[in-house]
This record gives sequence, structure tokens and C-alpha cells, in this order.
Amino acid sequence: MRKAKTRWRITILLLALALAAAACSEGESVDVGEETTTTTTAATTETTAAPEGTTEAPAETTAAPAPAEAVLIAAQGSEPDQLDPHMTSAYASFQVLENVYDTLVQPAADLSMEPALAESWEISDDNLTWTFTLRSGVKFHNGRDLVAQDVVYSFERIIAEGLNGWRFGAVDTISAPDDATVVMTLTQPSPNLLVSIAGFKGMAIIPEEIVTDGSIGTSPVGTGPFRFVSQSPDQGIVLEKNPDYWRAGEGLPKLDGIQFVQIPDAGTKLTALRTGEVHWIDTVPPQDIESLSGEDGVTVGRVPGGDYHYFALNQNLPPFDDVRVRQAIAHAINREEIAEAAQFGAATANQAAIPASNAAWYLDYAPFGSGDAATAQGLLDEAGVSGLTIDFLVSSDFPETVTQAQVISAELAAVGITVEITDVDFTTWLDMQGNGEFGAFMLSWIGNIDPDDFYYAQHHSDGGFNFQGYSNPDVDALLDGARVETDQAARKALYDQAAQLIVDDASYIYLYNPDNINAWRNEVSGYATRGDNAIRFVEASLG
Amino acid sequence: MSGFLVKRILQMLLALFGVSIVVFALMHLVPGDPVRVALGTRFDQDLYDALRERAGLDQPLIQQYLSWLGGVLTGDLGVSFRNGQPVTTLILERLPATITLALAALFIALVVALPAGIISAVRSGSGLDYTVSAASQVGISMPDFWAGVMYILIFSLTLGWLPSSGYSPLSEGVVEWARHLILPALTIGLISGSIITRFVRSAVLEALNQDYVLTARAKGLSEWQIVRRHVLPNAWIPIVTVVGLQLGFLLGGVVVTEVIFAWPGLGRLALTAVKDRDFTVLQGAVLYIAFMFLAINLIVDIIYARLDPRVRVS
Amino acid sequence: MSDQAPATDDRLAAKPVSRTRETIQTLMANRLAVAGLVVLTILVFVGIFGEAIAPYGINDIDIPKRLTGPSSDHWFGTDELGRDVFSRVIVAARVSLQVGFIAVGFALVVGVPIGLISGYYRGGVDSFLMRMMDVLFSFPAILLAIAILAVLGPGVGNAMIAIGLVYTPIFARITRGSVLVVSEEVYIRAARSLGAGDRRIIFRHILPNVMAPIIVQTTLSLAFAILSEAALSFLGLGVQPPNPAWGRMLAEGRNFFEQAPWMGIFPGLAILFTVMSFNFVGDGLRDALDPKQKSVIESRGQSA
Repeated sequence: MRKAKTRWRITILLLALALAAAACSEGESVDVGEETTTTTTAATTETTAAPEGTTEAPAETTAAPAPAEAVLIAAQGSEPDQLDPHMTSAYASFQVLENVYDTLVQPAADLSMEPALAESWEISDDNLTWTFTLRSGVKFHNGRDLVAQDVVYSFERIIAEGLNGWRFGAVDTISAPDDATVVMTLTQPSPNLLVSIAGFKGMAIIPEEIVTDGSIGTSPVGTGPFRFVSQSPDQGIVLEKNPDYWRAGEGLPKLDGIQFVQIPDAGTKLTALRTGEVHWIDTVPPQDIESLSGEDGVTVGRVPGGDYHYFALNQNLPPFDDVRVRQAIAHAINREEIAEAAQFGAATANQAAIPASNAAWYLDYAPFGSGDAATAQGLLDEAGVSGLTIDFLVSSDFPETVTQAQVISAELAAVGITVEITDVDFTTWLDMQGNGEFGAFMLSWIGNIDPDDFYYAQHHSDGGFNFQGYSNPDVDALLDGARVETDQAARKALYDQAAQLIVDDASYIYLYNPDNINAWRNEVSGYATRGDNAIRFVEASLG
Repeated sequence: MSGFLVKRILQMLLALFGVSIVVFALMHLVPGDPVRVALGTRFDQDLYDALRERAGLDQPLIQQYLSWLGGVLTGDLGVSFRNGQPVTTLILERLPATITLALAALFIALVVALPAGIISAVRSGSGLDYTVSAASQVGISMPDFWAGVMYILIFSLTLGWLPSSGYSPLSEGVVEWARHLILPALTIGLISGSIITRFVRSAVLEALNQDYVLTARAKGLSEWQIVRRHVLPNAWIPIVTVVGLQLGFLLGGVVVTEVIFAWPGLGRLALTAVKDRDFTVLQGAVLYIAFMFLAINLIVDIIYARLDPRVRVS
Repeated sequence: MSDQAPATDDRLAAKPVSRTRETIQTLMANRLAVAGLVVLTILVFVGIFGEAIAPYGINDIDIPKRLTGPSSDHWFGTDELGRDVFSRVIVAARVSLQVGFIAVGFALVVGVPIGLISGYYRGGVDSFLMRMMDVLFSFPAILLAIAILAVLGPGVGNAMIAIGLVYTPIFARITRGSVLVVSEEVYIRAARSLGAGDRRIIFRHILPNVMAPIIVQTTLSLAFAILSEAALSFLGLGVQPPNPAWGRMLAEGRNFFEQAPWMGIFPGLAILFTVMSFNFVGDGLRDALDPKQKSVIESRGQSA
């Protein structure tokens, strides 16, 4: 009996110990919390000066931990890896950075290039010198004025160590003759220069000091509509209104802040929108688009996007080096069925890359059949191929590729082709793709605007993304020529010819263009889903 | 006692050393590296090599390991390849959420398991016993992601009682804290509880069959008096052991549940680190998780040894 | 019922045959264990003849008929690609059972010898092997499995190895613990003093006497291994599509919970029945073989 009492005592002691340990760690959390709390209180005091209209917000978003100001809560499906715009390739990072940074010029809603930090630009008669005039009075979030030297510094950093140095392939020199002027000289005419150097926020203009002090990866300082406040696992990424934004004269941005929260499970993310815990979500699972569109209180933003889904056969590997085999596969698949299976109708089948919505560059070209087993079988017989097995590389980090591969597997079974699916995590996928360990790989390209982005790196013999091993001298010549052709109509003609060859040769087997889809609560206004997948909250408001 | 302790702590350090080697080796065997991840779909050999060199990944593996280990021994877990943040910070800022969820889940588990296990042992063979047994089987068979999704659909979407995701620190108010905690804690708590129930039942059942219980019965003590005075004190050791084990891995983070509920715990940190080949973060996280697990087991063993001197020998 | 079963001196005298018979008799008296055995027998049958029983092929895609509810054509409804869920559940039995059997088999084949050697020779060998097992044991199970899968490449075979490795230290520890106890028994000392070789002592005298806890742990681990496949599938690892496994189906079904609950419910029930059956048989065996044995370590299985 005495012994039993000791045991109880020890147990209680242990429990106390555990609680103490927990309390200690809670203590730490309180510290962290206090920091964020102080910032929010400070912000709240700011807004109490102008209380009208803000009081309704919390009543509408019941569960949202939003303070009494117009802070939009945006849910992303994956976590930004880092916040250095020049060093990240993660779309989640760009969702945030889009609202923090600016580029020299930027894609407008119709994807034509419009002024941003540069108010205007001039091109010399020989098309080799571009002179940009910067907007005056633009300030970085740290209060410093933007000068032309910042543009030069940013571009030089991208060229020297960033992931997008290759976009400056045609650029010879970059200089800043005065604080408001940036001059770029080119080695050859480059009609798509603006898209290359300012098509997305990977080309952001940054202040040198955040590189020097090493804070660029964790606390970005830009010129955009929102300032970075904090990042934590609990609160996600918090941005606040930049009162000195260069469009402040238009009353922008309208929101007091944005909170990006990360909800990795697509189903939970959708539920969080439906219950009003968040105001905006970056994607909607395809199967839920229809039901969500009919739901009260929620708006589904849907536009035909510039993205395309495709797969490519390894042309370094027989029999895929035989164009007839590739064409046979292109005939045998049914793109409508694949698009319907993977995207539940939120997509348009396309045998070429550029979607109809990109009117300037669209080419209506469809040489292949749809589930045409007879033609496919004929081509295979001609090539003397039977009993073919394709080792098909997909990644469950992009679940639609897994779905599509299963449909393709069933479709190709009709012509006696076996598809063996290899489903790996995306990093392994990249590694296997880089090492050529695949019979076919499948992915999508997002956010392309200019045809050069659609074709050059993917299909030129020297292209940086040409993993399938495609090489056609005619295509190379056409793509090189189109790069320097300044006449729009002539340029389009060159790309049309190149595109037809690429499609005919089945370098990529194009499948469809998916719609870009975001969804938001009806309280959100002034936000629109964009064709280039950029997430811009500058004109959005709540309430 | 102190000899036993010293020996156990040495063993623990050895095991941690082993864990550090295994996690390091495993991560470097996995295809891909953080530079590949950073580059994305584009592959440019020169850029790749340059970035690897800058990250120190071009050094011989042994050297990389030793310099990392040297850091660990001085309390420096290194910085994330992904975003340059200190690994220690990344782990520490996820500890409150991890510990909160672990303790809450364990609390739910014990509230369920202790009464259920004791009653079904005392009423062994009864309908109640079968009901408890069936319920615990369902609990064990239910994958956590399925249970979690069901709770979200019922309590968040349909009833609108509780938020579906996220963590609200205690400093933001106890009500929000609890509301965010309930569903994930319930998800793991009921599963853990099902497992612990089986243990409590068998431990109590065994204690019930000891001679002194027969004696006590002969003395005319009531069944509940017997349970309270004779059975529970003796069933306590195996129960503490299993509870320690459960707590050990709950504190290491629960990957799937954290993903479902967007809970900012260690499991998600480690999962992302695996996917992005963020070597240093994963090494740090695994080392911490293993430490937690071993430390809790050590504490359990110490209690054991205090309770039963024979354990020291075996 | 079985609480008076073999004590230590029983073991010394017991002939393996009579013990086996006794065990089976006790087991057969346990209605739940018998029910579990019946279900498992059916499952194994289904696993072997799955394709022949299934009314449709596992990859018979029919997009227009996707996500239709249970009907006379499709007893368990269809999934997001219009495939017959019933057929897929049937065929998946093989993969899921394979995952269980091979993963646990791996753990047995590796873990039991380690436990035997460790417990029998003790000393330095024991310390070394047990520290190795500590390493595996303290490694977060699901992360270990993920990392191993990433190294070996995906696929059901590698998933089995990964899950098996996670369970290895459990078997090593249980075996070692029992060996430590058994080695002290009179008959082992007697055998040793009679000059029997180590190998003979280990295989003839020790192994048969430590089988009970190992068998019990095996059945329980089988249940957890099947669940591990579900967790790995949720994270996008494990069985490669289009091959079905219950865990993978359940993981995919969760995305369609509102539109097509049958996609998840039926594979979920299959898992439930299987896990329950293994547990019933395991409990029955425990009672029949050695009522004193309790597998504390079984609780570990949850995390993988």
C-alpha cells in the first residue's frame, strides 16, 4: 500500500513536469506572439482613426482571426520556400511577392505590357538600344527613393546569380546615366524584351541593402502595394498596406493588409473558404468547381489561362526517336477525355500549345485524331513497333498528372501499348527528368505570355528545357529568326511555322489549356483571376 | 541508480549519434538536392554547379557530415537550404503547436482509454466489454486522414461549430486556442485512445487475476474497492510505459493530421524538408524528434526503476 | 478462460505437438478469433483469385459514368474515372495483404535473428545490435518510411521494405526480451552444460519457447502495416497507379467525400474488417499461447 502511494506521487510529479515543460514552451510562444500582437495593435490604432466601414468586417467572417480592419485572408496550397524573388521558383512565393515587388513594366490584364516602375520607354531605330524612364517619387518600403541604379543592380544580380539570368540572353549592357533613366543595349533585336525582363516577379526590382544585410530571403522590401510585416508558422505571411505606394493617388491599395495562410490539404482549404475562415483560395479542386460555383457567398473566378498540359516522349530512347511512333501516340490519345477526366470540364483540349485566349499568337492547328486507334496502329505497324511499354514519369505533387497518366494508359492499351506509371515526389521527378530516366514525362507550363516562352527553351536544340531531346534544324532556324523579328505579323508567321513542325514532330504531345481558377468570398471585390496566374490584390477590397 | 542513469544516457547519446548518421546518409542518397529544387524545371549545369558550390554541397560527404556534426555539438543546427533561417528557430517556433497538440491528444486519449479499459476489464466478457472492444477496433482501423476529413465536414462545414484549420496561440485568447485545437486533438486522441484502451484492459485484466485480488475478494471487498486499491496500483507500470511511448511520438509531430488541419507542427516541417531536400532542417528535426522519443522513454524507465528495482538489472 | 495456461515448468516438459494442439483448441474456443480467421481466409482467397472474381477490369475507365452511386451494375459505385469500385476493392485485397505479409515478413526475418543473437550472446554484440535498433526505433516512423521510399524509388515492393524496416526493431526487442528470460531457464542451462552447440540451443530450445510473443506481435503488426500503406498513400507514396490498394483508394476517396462517399467508404470498410480480423486472431493467440505476454511495443505501430 505504501508503495502504491509512492507510485501515485511519482505520476503526479511527472504530470506536473510535463505541464511545466509545456508551460515553458508556451512561454516562448507568448514571446513570439507578443511581437506580432504589438504590431497588430499598432496597426489597429492606426485604423481606429478612421473607424467607418471597418466595424462590419468581423461580423461577416465569423471564425477568421482578423482584426477590426480590412485584412484579407488568402489561403495558399503550398508554402513559399523563401521570399527572395530572384532565387525562388515556387509559385507560392510569387503569390506573395506579386503584391510586394514591382517590375520595370508589367503584364496588364490582357497580358500586353504596361508601364510599372518605368513610366515610358523608347526603342532606337536599329532596335538595339532601349531607354526606360522611371516613374518619379517611387519609394521602397524602407523609405528610400527608387533610383535607376537599383534597376541596374537588380538585373545584374539576376544575371550573376539568379535563376533567370538566361532571360537576358540578348542584353549586352545595362546602365543608369541618371537617377531616372535605364539604358539597355542589345546584341540583337529582341521584340519580346519586355516580357523577358518584366513578365513576372522573378524579375523584381530590389534595393541592394536587403541583399547586403542578408534579409531578402526572409523579409522582402519592395516598391509594391503591400509591405512585408512578418512570417510565422502560426500566422503565415502578414503584409500591410504601403501608404506610399506609387498608385496611392488612386486610393490604392484599398486593403489594410493581407494575411497569407498555408493550408496544404486542398479539401480543407476549400472548406475554410466555404465556412468563411478565409476570404480567398488559390485553387479549387476540379471536381468541386461546379458545386462551388452554385454556392451562395462564394465567387469562382475562372478565365482561360496561358497554361498548357503536355507530355513528351524521350527521343534519345528508341523507338521514340521514330517520329511515327510519337505520332501514333498523339493520334491514339483522346484529349477531350483526358481534359474532362482531370479538369472536370474546366479546360479546353488543344493539340498545340498556345490557347485561343491568347489571340495575338493563337494558331488553330489539329493534325491528329482523337482516340484514333486505326491511324495509330497503322503508324506503329509502319514503324515496325509492337508490344511497346512506356515508362511514364508523373508526380503526385501534381495530382492531375497522375490522373491523366491513368487515362492515357487506358487509351493506349487499345493500340497494344503498355503504360507503366512512375509516380514520384517532384524533386525526384526533376532529378529523373534531368538525368533522362524516363520514357515519357508529363507536366504543365504556367504563366507563359510570349511565344518565345512557349517554344524556345522547350524545343530549340539548345533549349534549357529540352529534356525530350528534340532537334530539328528547321525549327531552330525559325525560333532564332522569330526572336529577332520586330515585325509582329512576320514574327507570328515564323512562330506558326515552327509550331506546326513541333506539333507534327510530336516533340511535345500537347493535351489541353486549363482554366485559371481562384475562388473568394463575395465580400471581396476588385479582384480578378488573371490569365498569367499572377495574384494581384492591389485593387481588391473587403466589405 | 546513478550508474544506471549514466549508462542509459550514454546509450541515448549513442542512439542519437546513430540517428544523425542514418538521417544524413538517407537524405544524401535520395535523388535530388536543395539546389535542384530551387532551380525548378529549368536545368542548367553551370548554374547548378555554382549554386551547389555556394551551398557547400560540392564538399565530400564525410566533410559535410563532420562540419554539421561539429555544429550540432556546439548547439548550432545550421541554417535551412531553403530560406537561410536557422534550423533551431524553425524547430522552436513550431514547438508550442506541436506540444499543445500532443498533450491535448494524450489528454483525450487518457480520458477515453482509462475508464473504457478498466470497465471492460472488470466487466470482461460482458456486452459492454465487446462494445468497447469493437469501438477501439474501429478507432485503430481508422486512418487519421479519414477521421480528420470527417470531423471537418461534420463540425466545421455542416454544423459550423469549429474552425477547419490552423492554430491559434494561447496568447490570442483561450477560446480561439481551444476551438482550433479540438478537431486535430480529437483525430489523434481517439486513435491513441483506442490503442491505450487495449493496454489498460489487458494490464487490469492481468492484475485482476493475481492472488492478492482473490484474497481481497475473499475478504469481501467490493469490486471497485479492489480495482482502486489493488488492481490499479499494479496495472500502472505497463500503462505508464505505453503512455510514454505514445507521448514520445506525439511530440515528434503527427505528419498526416498536421497536413489535414494545416497545423503548424514539426511533422509538416519535416515533411516539407524531405520533399524539398532541405537536408539541414530534416536532420535537425529528426534529431530533435528522436531525442524527445528517447528522453521520454528514459523518464519512463526511471519511473520503472524507482517502482521496481529489478528493472535495473534486466 | 485461458488464464491457467502454461507456466514455466510446463514449458520445460511440454512437447511442441501437444502445445500446438492445446493452442489451437483454446483458439477455436474463442468465437471472435474464429470469426477473424474466417474473414482472413476469405480475404486470402479473394486476394489470390481477385481478377477472376472482379466483374470489371481495374483500369476500365469510363469517364461519362464517373462518380455514380452504387447500383446493380456497380455494387460499390464508380470512382472519379468511372472505374468499378467493387472490382478495385476486390483486386486491391492482394496488394494490401501483400503489403502486410511481406512487410511484416521482412521485419520478422531481420528482427527475430537480431533479437535471438542479441539476447543469447549479450555483451558487446547485444549492445551494438540494440543501439542499432534504438536508432531505427527512435527515428520518426513515417519519415523513415518516406526517406527509404525516396531512396529506393516508389513502388509497392519498396513500400513493403520501408514499412518492414520500421517494424524490425519491434521484433528484435520482443525477441530479445523473451530470450533473456528463457536463457535463464533450467533446461537451457542443462542443455548448455551437456555441451550442446549454440546453434542447436538457439534453434531447438530457445526459438520454440519465444515464439508466442512473436506470433502475437506478428498478427498485430499485420494490421498496422496495412494502415501504414494508407498513410503513405495519403502522402502520395506507396502503390503506383493504376494498381489499387485500399489505402490509396481511401486516400483518393477523401477528395470526393461529398460527391461520392462510396469511393472511400468501401475500401475503408475493407481495411476495418481486415484489421479487426487480424486483431481478433492476435488477441486469441495471445490468450491461447501466453496470457502473461503483453506487447507494449504494439502501440508503436500507430505512427507508421
